[in-house]
Amino acid sequence: MAFVVQLTFAQDKTITGNVTDDTGLPLPGVNIIVKGTATGTQSDFDGNYSIGASVGQTLVYSYVGFTQQEIAVTASTSTVNVQMVPGTELEEVLVVAQGIKREAKALGYAVSTVESADIEQRTEGDVARVLSGKASGVQITSQSGTSGSATNVVIRGYNSITGSNQALFIVDGVPFSSDTNAQGNFLNGNVGSSRFLDLDPNNIESVNVLKGLAAATLYGTAGRNGVIVITTKSGGGGANKSAKKTEITVSQSFFVNEIASLPDYQDKYGNGFDQSFGWFFSNWGPSFNADGVDGYLNDPAGLIDAQGTLAHPYDTSAFLNNLNGGDNELANRFAGVRYEWRPYNSVENFFRTGDVVNTSINIRGNSDDGKLAYNVNYGHLDETGFTPGNNIRRNTLAVGGRAQLTNNFTVSATLNFSRNQVASPPVAASRGNGTLGFSTFANVFFTPRSVDLMGLPYTIPETGGSIYYRNGNDIINPRWTVENAGSTQLTNRVFGTAQLQYDFSDNLNLLYRAGVDFYNERNTQYSNKNGVNFNQAIFGQYITWDNNVRIWDHYLTLSGDYDITDDIGITFTAGATSRSRNFDQQGVQSDGQIVFGVLRHFNFLTQTPIQNTSFRNIVGVFAETSLDYSDWAFLTLSARNDWVSNLPTENNNQFYPSVSASFLPTAAFPSIRSSEWGLNYLKLRAGLGTSAGFPTGFPTVQNLNLAINVNGGANGPITTNAISGFRANPDLKPELISEFEVGFDSRFLNNRVNLNVSYFDRSTEDLIVFKPLAPSSGFTQTQDNIGKVEGDGWEVDLSVDLFKSDKEDGFNWNSRVNFTQSEQIVTEQEEDQILFAGSTAAFLGANAAIRGEQLGVIVGTRILRDDAGNFVVNSAGNYVTEDQVVLDDGRQITPIIGNPNPDYVMNFINTLSYKNFNLGFQFSHTKGGDIASSTIAVLLGRGLIVETEDRANTFILPGVSQSTGQPNEIQINNSQYYFSNVLFGPKELQVYDASVIRLQEVSFGYSVPKKWLEKTPFGSLSVTASGFNLWYDAYNTPDGANFDPNVAGVGIGNGRGFDYINGPSSRRYGLSIKASF
Amino acid sequence: MKTIYKIFLLALISSGTLFYSCETTELEQLVSPNAISPEQADPDLLLNTIQRAYVTNAITFNDRGAELTRIDYMFGRDYFANYNSSTFDGVWSRSYSSIFANINIIEAQNEADGGGLEFHLGVSKALQAHTLMMLVDFLGDIPFSEALNPDEFPNPMLDDDATVYAAARAMLDEAKAYFAGASVGTATDFFYGGDTDAWVAMVNTLIMRHALTTGNISEFNAIVSTGNFINDSSLDFEFKYGTQLLNPNTRHPDYNADYTTSGANIYQSNWLIWTMQEADKTDGSDDDPRIRYYFFRQVDCTPGASCDPAGNGETLQCSLQTPPAQYAALGIPACFLEDGYWGRSHGNDEGTPPDNFTRTAVGVYPAGGLFDDNRFNGLNQDVGGLGAGIEPIILASYVDFWRAEVALAGGSPGAAAGFVEAGLTKSIAKVQSFGELDTTRDTSFEPDATTVSDFIAAKAALITDTSDDSWNALAEQFFVTMYGGGADSYNFYRRTGYPTTVFPNLDPNPGVFPRTFLYPSVEVIANPNITQRQDNNTQVFWDTQPAGPAFPPAN
Repeated sequence: MAFVVQLTFAQDKTITGNVTDDTGLPLPGVNIIVKGTATGTQSDFDGNYSIGASVGQTLVYSYVGFTQQEIAVTASTSTVNVQMVPGTELEEVLVVAQGIKREAKALGYAVSTVESADIEQRTEGDVARVLSGKASGVQITSQSGTSGSATNVVIRGYNSITGSNQALFIVDGVPFSSDTNAQGNFLNGNVGSSRFLDLDPNNIESVNVLKGLAAATLYGTAGRNGVIVITTKSGGGGANKSAKKTEITVSQSFFVNEIASLPDYQDKYGNGFDQSFGWFFSNWGPSFNADGVDGYLNDPAGLIDAQGTLAHPYDTSAFLNNLNGGDNELANRFAGVRYEWRPYNSVENFFRTGDVVNTSINIRGNSDDGKLAYNVNYGHLDETGFTPGNNIRRNTLAVGGRAQLTNNFTVSATLNFSRNQVASPPVAASRGNGTLGFSTFANVFFTPRSVDLMGLPYTIPETGGSIYYRNGNDIINPRWTVENAGSTQLTNRVFGTAQLQYDFSDNLNLLYRAGVDFYNERNTQYSNKNGVNFNQAIFGQYITWDNNVRIWDHYLTLSGDYDITDDIGITFTAGATSRSRNFDQQGVQSDGQIVFGVLRHFNFLTQTPIQNTSFRNIVGVFAETSLDYSDWAFLTLSARNDWVSNLPTENNNQFYPSVSASFLPTAAFPSIRSSEWGLNYLKLRAGLGTSAGFPTGFPTVQNLNLAINVNGGANGPITTNAISGFRANPDLKPELISEFEVGFDSRFLNNRVNLNVSYFDRSTEDLIVFKPLAPSSGFTQTQDNIGKVEGDGWEVDLSVDLFKSDKEDGFNWNSRVNFTQSEQIVTEQEEDQILFAGSTAAFLGANAAIRGEQLGVIVGTRILRDDAGNFVVNSAGNYVTEDQVVLDDGRQITPIIGNPNPDYVMNFINTLSYKNFNLGFQFSHTKGGDIASSTIAVLLGRGLIVETEDRANTFILPGVSQSTGQPNEIQINNSQYYFSNVLFGPKELQVYDASVIRLQEVSFGYSVPKKWLEKTPFGSLSVTASGFNLWYDAYNTPDGANFDPNVAGVGIGNGRGFDYINGPSSRRYGLSIKASF
Repeated sequence: MKTIYKIFLLALISSGTLFYSCETTELEQLVSPNAISPEQADPDLLLNTIQRAYVTNAITFNDRGAELTRIDYMFGRDYFANYNSSTFDGVWSRSYSSIFANINIIEAQNEADGGGLEFHLGVSKALQAHTLMMLVDFLGDIPFSEALNPDEFPNPMLDDDATVYAAARAMLDEAKAYFAGASVGTATDFFYGGDTDAWVAMVNTLIMRHALTTGNISEFNAIVSTGNFINDSSLDFEFKYGTQLLNPNTRHPDYNADYTTSGANIYQSNWLIWTMQEADKTDGSDDDPRIRYYFFRQVDCTPGASCDPAGNGETLQCSLQTPPAQYAALGIPACFLEDGYWGRSHGNDEGTPPDNFTRTAVGVYPAGGLFDDNRFNGLNQDVGGLGAGIEPIILASYVDFWRAEVALAGGSPGAAAGFVEAGLTKSIAKVQSFGELDTTRDTSFEPDATTVSDFIAAKAALITDTSDDSWNALAEQFFVTMYGGGADSYNFYRRTGYPTTVFPNLDPNPGVFPRTFLYPSVEVIANPNITQRQDNNTQVFWDTQPAGPAFPPAN
């Protein structure tokens, strides 16, 4: 009772007023406190406030981004209107680990922020792709331009050899699964979206990228690869200084989606080999001109007549002549028909123009006092890919709200639902002869110029099967493929959080948060029968399976914030968390279609069950405390201990501490700070962070495999038992990652230049690796702690206001550059090499961990060298291949043929505005990094692009003769060089420098002036035209290939630097309109 | 007080949720739900793995051996480049981790149960011994004494090849001992339907093989004198394929490759066909009686042959080209054969033209395809024997040829001729018995008994002395007989150097003929105690012939 009386006594005056920003607009949410007391309030939506205080006390007005103001209460004070002045030191507040908000200046590590404006109204439905190039240190690779294809997100480079290197996504405080559950692997079929796709980028309020371990310690092991912290508009609960009581925002976009990486095919020569016509895969045939040495009339095959026609492929087809004894519709129809010898632009015409239609509606509102807030977001995405059969249809609904209750409780919750259907034609790897996996793209890309893909019938009328130009019909027609085969993935996903906070006082609170993320992916992979080449196409196959993934996340903390003295403050958080992930896969594979065209399990001869389950719990306790001194020195200490469920008790936990500090010389020594054209702000920071990596699966207990329906020959299907080749390792322990980071943040020249630099040095010890075992030991593989990877890197973010107008509608031009350079070296490793991605077949290549080399170097077959290092050429004049080399120290490795890690990545982002117009463009430059490209190899090797037009000359490969050791003198022709050496010779010859300059984004927008909208229901209205990936140049690859190195040829994971004709990239441009009411 | 209630409320809510979610904090969940544990192993099912892995290995040994000895066609010019370190990756891993490791589990179970798994172990030891011998034959020194003991020897050292061979020999005695009184029980016997007598004959035959390879003629003869070995086709050691198309496909792999809707995919060896065409290449009447069973022609004329001297650059590019000098000198076909046979010569590395419906496919023996009755069409996945062929491993006919070799090497051409006659008789009878798998065949094209016996007599008559000609006659017929198998042809060829009549490599400088293969990369990469060979010159301990390239004469 006494407490209340005192308060009553103290409030002997009520002061009211209005707070505005520097432009005079009302500023809601300004904190107004009576200095030295716990009394405080906030301004409401109209900037109005009311507070009790007594004479002699001081009111303190503070708001992020504005200078704090103090006004003394005098006897005459009753109305105080305050105009806030923008702060010279932007006291930006960031959401860092576990939803904790910290002032940017207090952070001892680098954090990159991406605002909603950089994310909204983009054409990609995949939030990861939208972030491409927006922040330093973040590397984003699309699997391809196929709509719904997966995306790789890696922060500060690859650190783990076989563990995941994918960044953690945190949405509204809880982990958000960004899994890619690929259907099959890159060799046998690889379709499957990354689950980023379930989040509508238009519903994102802000994104913070926590790159270093010091930043991510509180997230535990999940955060070891960096964390992307996303706050959704629903998660923010709607409280925002610009929010009206209710605001409805609608945006509508329409984009065109085209193939960007269409090669520049030559039109001089057609199908054949050695300038002689044949219905081959290759395009080394005679010229489309009649005369000359390579003219079709001089072709020794003599099949093309003087009119420039030849027998129709369906006339001479041995396949059709064999089908039903030769009596079939196509054979009869094309008997005697002639076929024009000319280029047909088949590839150009195969692809279509897709479109992307995106609708987003956002409704947000606040109660008058700002204590209740809600947000509803609905998004609809309808995307058709440039490849027939490829599309996405997505609906997302997100709701969120927050209530600050009168009894010191704050409740907030978000719930997101998404339904996402992706359809894709078959995608798999190809070397350029259609043998690796059932894929659409390879057979399209190497279509000979004289083959009329779009004009030839592709279906056999009698059987529904595939028919194509080859005499034996041994290549599947891609038009049949996209019509009869494909994959779909229908995902229903719910993720949400509920959070309850109790404030003991302004200084101390207890918070509990539960997060759930559940999704069901219904996968279908199908092919009708009577195709060719691949068993699933020949016999028909239908596979359906569901992946049910459930993540439960619990989080409980006690947090406090105290001033120990006037100068020293302390904040702390201590808590516990648990994260449980369960993956459950169930399905059926059916083979042998009975009735053509019916894709239901009953219509198939045999069924095989699909079932796979895994689960893992991680329990952690953690604490973090920060000390600050006089607002210019900050120290943060944190520590976490994790326990994991799939390791035995002795090894199941890991403790890892972190420390970081920041120091602001410009605040400590005001004399060095200039408010004008000198140094405006300087922060020095340093951090030392650690984290742990845990294994997945169940690696510590030995398994015995049981297989049914094994080929027993005449005994029929048999069942087998076999000890697993994977040797359990009960001594497996967590891997430990540590990182040291230093850097500075600075602003100078009247805050017009902003420069942030970070240097980091990290190492991963006791790496958990899938280690090959000597099969003679009885096992082929185990998981073990071996080796060490060490690396360092630089990240620089520079922002310059080239033009900055004082007037609201003046000309402004802001340029930003972000730069990333990093390198990870394998410094300790017992094994000669570990191939961790790609294929163990040396002619396909793999990424390897080899001591002394950068992690992930590309290994594969190379040209044999003699002792002096000369290339060795065989008696046919071709390079000899070798697939193993012995290093000086005796290690035996697959030859290193490339390094996929780029030298640096740089993005150049510009924003210009004048009056109601704004223009933005972003260039990206990736320098260095190799890629082994089958796309380029096949375009060259099959004589398809302009680079292969010179067919008159001969080549003598530099090197020495294998039999004589003398310099090679054997002449070979163009086709032999490209076909036998580049395409089907040493893999080394397919490796290119993947440097690329890209015009990542261009946008031009117009906002309708506010005064024009006064008499309309609109609050704002803007129109933006934008384009993405409009131009790129991989300048060290053959121009004619128009190759886009932004592909992940071996799928999502740790593999990189490979392209297996898995899919072209996309170019998009269009228009979007955004209106608010 | 009020505050305390609130804390209590908060604690209640959060602990309640935590209670419901206690499964999310459970630790020590170490066992995979997706497999069973080694204690649950069923010896019958382990034996299935062992037999299946053994058969898969046999296919690889047969194919590689046959390619090198021209029974099958070899793609690619340079021997060293062709047979890279991945060649035996599968065989190697399968031998150690699928065959030997699972045998160890059966042995341990048998010991723990005090017996009862004698049949399993008899089969296991026989197959293990044969596998060890084959590994040595193809690779030389291999790990044995330190193998399969990962705790003590994570990186086993190589054992001398002769030592491993001796260990395999001892294992054969072990196998025989296990078979004494053993019963198949509930196990599946892939080979002899649980007949232990047949297994003992098979083990004795492996002892003969061991003796022959190591030159222990007295042991060889000792087994012969018991009469208890594979001396009758009913005891043929072979894997029988089924006809099932899907889940699993149990058909002969060569049938699967050649009998497709888009035509044939294997090239047959020109040398073998050419040899079987006998003296008159254009006239089929003097051909080896097995030729129509072995090969199925899809056309009656091959470009470049006398029926089409102009050749065809689209379907057979080399028909327009000059043959290499070493072929021209011998007057042998580098590219095309007469009479519609369409194969490839040794070392041809051309790309694949549209010839799937013209090249010669495998026939009814041993792949269960079609019998060649001059129909020249009709190849698809539903014809002939539906792939119900065999993978020959050791046939009675092969054993006759072993005995012929021993006799001829011992200076007894007469005895050798007798064994060749016996071998051919068994071989041709077996091959002819496959004819009925193709129920659509025109039987008038099957050679009659007189043709067959005349052929056999003529072939036996060629062995008159110990000259090269006699040896070549023996060797050629042995190789023809081994069509479909061929693992032993590689041993025979290195042991004797015959036949000297095989086609040379199309490349004039193909490098040294492989005397052993490279160590499998899966082992070399993981095991620092094994150093990869830098060439293929290493000779197995029993290979006492001169070093390459002097030997073998036809490189």
